[in-house]
Amino acid sequence: MFKKILLVEDDKFLRELMSKKLLSLGYEVSTAPDGETGIEMIKSEKPEVVLLDLILPGINGFDVLEKAKKDPETANIPVVILSNLGQSEDIERGLKLGAKDFLVKAHFTPQEIVNKLKTILE
Amino acid sequence: METKFANIIENKEDALRRVRVALLNILEDTEDARKIAVDERNKTMAIIENLTDGILLLNVDGKVEIISPMAREFLKKEEKDIIGNNFFELINDKEFEELKELLKEDGKIKAIHRKEIAVGDNLNLEVSSVFLKAESVNKGILIVLHDITRDKLIEKMKTEFVSIAAHQLRTPLSAIKWTLKMMLDGDAGKITEDQKDLLEKTYISNERMISLINDLLNVTRIEEGRFLYRQENIQLEDIVDLVVESSTELLEMKKIKLDIDVPKDLMPEVKVDKEKMSLVVQNLLENAVKYSKEGSDIKIILENKGNEALFKIIDKGVGIPKNQQERIFTKFFRGDNVIALETEGSGLGLYTSKNIVEAHKGKIWFDSGENNGTTFYFTVPFVK
Repeated sequence: MFKKILLVEDDKFLRELMSKKLLSLGYEVSTAPDGETGIEMIKSEKPEVVLLDLILPGINGFDVLEKAKKDPETANIPVVILSNLGQSEDIERGLKLGAKDFLVKAHFTPQEIVNKLKTILE
Repeated sequence: METKFANIIENKEDALRRVRVALLNILEDTEDARKIAVDERNKTMAIIENLTDGILLLNVDGKVEIISPMAREFLKKEEKDIIGNNFFELINDKEFEELKELLKEDGKIKAIHRKEIAVGDNLNLEVSSVFLKAESVNKGILIVLHDITRDKLIEKMKTEFVSIAAHQLRTPLSAIKWTLKMMLDGDAGKITEDQKDLLEKTYISNERMISLINDLLNVTRIEEGRFLYRQENIQLEDIVDLVVESSTELLEMKKIKLDIDVPKDLMPEVKVDKEKMSLVVQNLLENAVKYSKEGSDIKIILENKGNEALFKIIDKGVGIPKNQQERIFTKFFRGDNVIALETEGSGLGLYTSKNIVEAHKGKIWFDSGENNGTTFYFTVPFVK
């Protein structure tokens, strides 16, 4: 069974790279370029896991996370934050809002990110 | 007889005339002295009135004798409401709370030197207070208020700028990192050994850039004063173990032998921000490795000093030149001898470490001689 992953990321190139990696490993990938679309797609696609950026045009990632966790329909979908914020306050806030993990983009390779997703999907 | 009396009277009159002249002279001198004194006072007052710093002169009872216009402006008071009144009663409003706290000790004013405070939302002052003494008798207190609002604002803008720039820089660097790694992993097709070699070197350069930005972020966070995040009680031994464990690759690369010496009995706990304290140990260890020759050895010693833990790291590396030792903890400083070695470094590690150690109420220092190795020390107080 292919696992479905939703990638919420506003940078086109990063989105492409991550999608490419995930697709090559046999995952099914949907992408959202902003927070608004992200929320809609979490509801409509029901992915197994969400990779969520924080600095997004319009609604930011924290708000997306909060909305997803408040909606009983989507509350159980695990969300992993993948952002270039990464100060203790940001991490704390993300985890408090219910994120499974907080990854700083510049500190992880795509493979390492996939490994994190794997442990969550198992 | 008569001529005798006349003589006496004449003599007396003469004496009186001379007294009168003398008295007039004295009066004239006094008048001159008074004029000079008034001139001096006017001059002094003119200087005080026109100073851009706020000046207050209090008598020994803490009552205001002189206040400059600038000080009146800072305290938002009219001169008539101030002169002769107790200083602490004047600054009883909530917005002057910091000022009051800073200056008051056991109901009296204490001497301070250039301490920064905020007054309300829009004013930052640097405050000094000095006891005026004449022949060791206290004659009053001088308070100087220096406006640093603009400096604070610029400092804040600078910090925010670096913080935002650093975050923005991380995005393209992530893209480069991911691309290089995927190419190296063969995700974009097979690559030759030569290509792999080049890509690997590029990857390492990019990693350096990422860690430089992390250093910059750490520094700006120190300056924003929110660096110590969550403090917990922990053994310093555990922090050292964790850092050493994650540095095995670094040590192996330069074939460095690391010796660790900890007290037989577990030391009391220290209350620290674990992440930040690890950063200090890591910085010191990385420096020791970086500035040691291949195959050299490094020793870490932990000691129980009764009320604090002492950390020592001893290397046999290039050392710090005597004439540069004073500047070793300043931001962006790098020794001439290590620049010549072409080692990588941002000049931020020791600056950051010093700030972290001091935020934990510890001390950091070193012994070193050029080509004679370096020993860095730091202390952290035990939890009481």
